[in-house]
Amino acid sequence: MTPRRTERSVQAWIELIAADPEAVSALAVARTHLPAGEGLAGLRRFRVFELGGRFPPRRETEDLLHRSTRFYNPHKERCMVRMEPADPAPLEPGERAVLVFERDGERREAAERWWRHQTGEAVTVREGVAFVLRFEPGEPAAERTRDLSVLRDRLHGLLCNPHSQEHRTAGAEVPLRWMATPAEGGEA
Amino acid sequence: MSGPKVAVVQFPGVNCEAETLRALQRVGLVAEVFRWTRAPAELEAFDACVLPGGFSYQDRVRAGALAAKHPLVERLARAAERGRPVLGICNGAQVLVEAGLVPGGGTVELALARNRMPGRSGYYARWVHVRVERSRCVFTRALAPGTLLALPVAHGEGRFTSGTPGRIAALARAGQTPLRYADADGALATGFPANPNGAAGAVAAVCNAAGNVLAMMPHPERAQDLGQLSRAIGGAWADRRDEALERAGEAAGRDAASAGPAAHAESPGPGLLLFEGLRLHLEEA
Repeated sequence: MTPRRTERSVQAWIELIAADPEAVSALAVARTHLPAGEGLAGLRRFRVFELGGRFPPRRETEDLLHRSTRFYNPHKERCMVRMEPADPAPLEPGERAVLVFERDGERREAAERWWRHQTGEAVTVREGVAFVLRFEPGEPAAERTRDLSVLRDRLHGLLCNPHSQEHRTAGAEVPLRWMATPAEGGEA
Repeated sequence: MSGPKVAVVQFPGVNCEAETLRALQRVGLVAEVFRWTRAPAELEAFDACVLPGGFSYQDRVRAGALAAKHPLVERLARAAERGRPVLGICNGAQVLVEAGLVPGGGTVELALARNRMPGRSGYYARWVHVRVERSRCVFTRALAPGTLLALPVAHGEGRFTSGTPGRIAALARAGQTPLRYADADGALATGFPANPNGAAGAVAAVCNAAGNVLAMMPHPERAQDLGQLSRAIGGAWADRRDEALERAGEAAGRDAASAGPAAHAESPGPGLLLFEGLRLHLEEA
């Protein structure tokens, strides 16, 4: 018997297997030029897809994501899938994550068409970028993350230009429907 | 050579420095490429700066975001406060917006967001018309309001927008939008493709209140010769191109050795007028 499929959310965290030049540059610039970045010990970058709709079991969903370059290139990137709120995001203890995405959503219509073609299911696909920040011990990580997140001027903020983008921040618990979370409630 | 000196500031990934340099030299300015590895203090030797187009730092994080944090830009900002002209073209405009040099004051008030185009997304290249608006901008000072310029755009993130409602309209009222997208007849662009990126108010360029800093998305340096004009472009500039071609043909008939396609190709194009504005300003300063 085919398991019943219900509306749910799937989150895919995509990371370059090699060192990520964008993360390397963001870390260097933040540490060198921004007061809030002086205590930044590490920065990783993920592309994050959030899919909404009805999905097959985990193994099959992972396989679908793996098969289409609409989502990632398995030769160069690795993918971690979250299908339940309890599934961990790829954050180490103490790390903070900042999700940045274009205002008014960033639908990936080609990915949606591909999914429908493969499964017959209509899903929504949105994409953002998550920056995972690690600070030196003793640094006020939440405060520094806020300072680095929103661009204000040449010395403050980097990751999100609030005039065209939105951001969410999280600590250990990352919401499964993160982009849909109101900005005020995004702080975990 | 003496005369006003202009720095063409090149960050890694910038790729329009050569043609920008040529445009500045064609209008009689002394110009040199100023690479990011030089000491920022050396910028003080220049009377004006141009940030050309390209992909500084590979557009990492966001177009213009990393270059905007560079100490050179801090030095540029201080020079701009003292009235030095600064022109940012395409990626250079993105840097100026991300650094808060336009609309000015240092606080970031705008974004150059991803293009918004019906039925397509991503990078878009096309020849468009821009209309000169009434403003204090030093780069358009010699051009009457309403003048049309045919210029190419080529970008993925060129949509001027602000998270503050009404901010773009307020800038337009204050004379800080010296160039706006228009159709070939001069009417303000109401939609794609005349407005190639969905910019609020069809804004193609924003300057600071004093008019000495200009961030523009079209590429004037790629329209410095009439011969560069696209065959697809219509209006008065196409007529000028065709007239120049005709003259070149006649000249070639009389003296084939001294005239040919190059004579037509290198007639001054619409983009050169903005560099002329800079020269006029510097000569008077």
